[in-house]
Amino acid sequence: MALLELENLTVSYEAIQAVRNLSLEVREGEIVTLIGANGAGKSTTLRAVSRLLKVQTGRIRFDGCDITGHAPDAVVRLGIAQSPEGRQVLALQTVQDNLELGAYVRHDHVAIKEDIARMYRLFPRLEERREQSAGTLSGGEQQMLAIARALMSRPRLLLLDEPSLGLAPLIVLEIFSIIRDLNAGGTTILLVEQNAKLAMQHSHRTYVLEAGQITFSGLSQELLSDERVLRAYLGD
Amino acid sequence: MTAVQFLQNFLNGISIGSVYAIFALGYTLVFSILGIINFAHGAVFTLGAYLTYSLAVGQFGIGGLFADLQLPFHFSFPFALLTGSILSGFAGVLVERCAFRPLRKRGADPLLALVSSLGVALVTVNVLQYLVGSEIYSFPSDVYGDIRPAFVLHFGEKLVVIRTVQIIIFSVCMVVLALLGYLIGWTRIGKALRAVAENAATASLLGINVDRFILYTFFLSGFLGGLAGSLVGTSFGIAGPYFGVSYGLKGLAVIVMGGLGSIPGAVLGGMVIGLAEAFVPSEYSAYKEAVAFAFLFAALLIRPQGLLGRSHIQKV
Repeated sequence: MALLELENLTVSYEAIQAVRNLSLEVREGEIVTLIGANGAGKSTTLRAVSRLLKVQTGRIRFDGCDITGHAPDAVVRLGIAQSPEGRQVLALQTVQDNLELGAYVRHDHVAIKEDIARMYRLFPRLEERREQSAGTLSGGEQQMLAIARALMSRPRLLLLDEPSLGLAPLIVLEIFSIIRDLNAGGTTILLVEQNAKLAMQHSHRTYVLEAGQITFSGLSQELLSDERVLRAYLGD
Repeated sequence: MTAVQFLQNFLNGISIGSVYAIFALGYTLVFSILGIINFAHGAVFTLGAYLTYSLAVGQFGIGGLFADLQLPFHFSFPFALLTGSILSGFAGVLVERCAFRPLRKRGADPLLALVSSLGVALVTVNVLQYLVGSEIYSFPSDVYGDIRPAFVLHFGEKLVVIRTVQIIIFSVCMVVLALLGYLIGWTRIGKALRAVAENAATASLLGINVDRFILYTFFLSGFLGGLAGSLVGTSFGIAGPYFGVSYGLKGLAVIVMGGLGSIPGAVLGGMVIGLAEAFVPSEYSAYKEAVAFAFLFAALLIRPQGLLGRSHIQKV
């Protein structure tokens, strides 16, 4: 069964229909990639799922439950966490406080402490900087913090918006291997990426978004060798 | 100025300055969350003073609709102060529900909330005038119970007089500042509050209910406003329903001086304005406020972002 299901979703953003009649699904245990050009509506889709944007028409279902009218904090409680585009760490608070706030919806203090320790094992560079304010971190470290913070709510579905944006190639590879590990550990992931080839190589299925509508979808391995997708998005 | 005079002025200054600080913090909290000045804050200050007065004294008895009203009870001063301030906190919550939230939900320009909060302020002040009249209300001299009204320090021929109410004001403000600092700096609620202030959208992605934290903020702001009004009222009397207006303006001077949105800035700004006023010689005391504002202008020429403000202010 689909964990996340978008049905005929239309979302306007600043008076433009950014997403039109979009349907997609993410099944439990999958990594699904959403690729497309700048302004195709990828981030809009994630922001609509997190309920930061109003939905004009259509439905969003999570685990069978209609969340189209939910508030942003309510969907976090249901188990959807987002690592937003541009990282959006809380620059004035410390790394440690950012992680603690990531667990805001939880009340199991012992397990939260264990999870923070787990995040520091996953991202050792964050531990070195735990008492620094997040604004002083490098771009790559902020990206790690944004992902770690999203994981702190123990989400069933993790939404990742452009995790590779502005990062050095080696750090990008590191982040994608962590995404694979997280998925192997049971987290379902919906990934939005500019770096289409890399994202497709690391995901089960791919949707291609063009001007707010889905033009192709299928298994990532198959789309990787599809000539139309190759020409338009993979630059080969 | 002799050293003794200096000490006297200094003590007067930090006492009134500490009230300015907690009052201005009420503006700062709302500003740091919403990026707007709540112009109803001065009215909540006035309301708090009247609430504490009525709870401590048990009656009004001069003018207005409530002239003959007797409460069947009255509280000891500390309890009246606490209750009056808490009720003012709920008044702050009402201000958010009436003046801010409806406009925010419709995506209106934040500047409009400035006007609607001014509207709520005027209505509050007018209703107060209708209910309790415009006479001056002074707290009875024995309101604190059986303690001496002042302490006198002797320095040879010279005297330094510290009124008991000044000590009470200063102590209450310091305790409140310490509690507030703990709440905002060290608790889960405080961290979430700072997250909302820094970036409301990001905070909501962490599962923080932003609207609820805006309500908490208005409660705290109203509490601080009502507490400040009550303390000023006990010290100088309640000069009528409009007495919050001039304090409201002074509070604005304090937060601009300290740096908009900065909590330590509001405390420092309050102390600076309080001290500046206290050092105005008594023969010029009619010009006290002019001196305080002149001080503000001078400080802003040197440091436009305020004493502790960040040089780049994103919110307007």
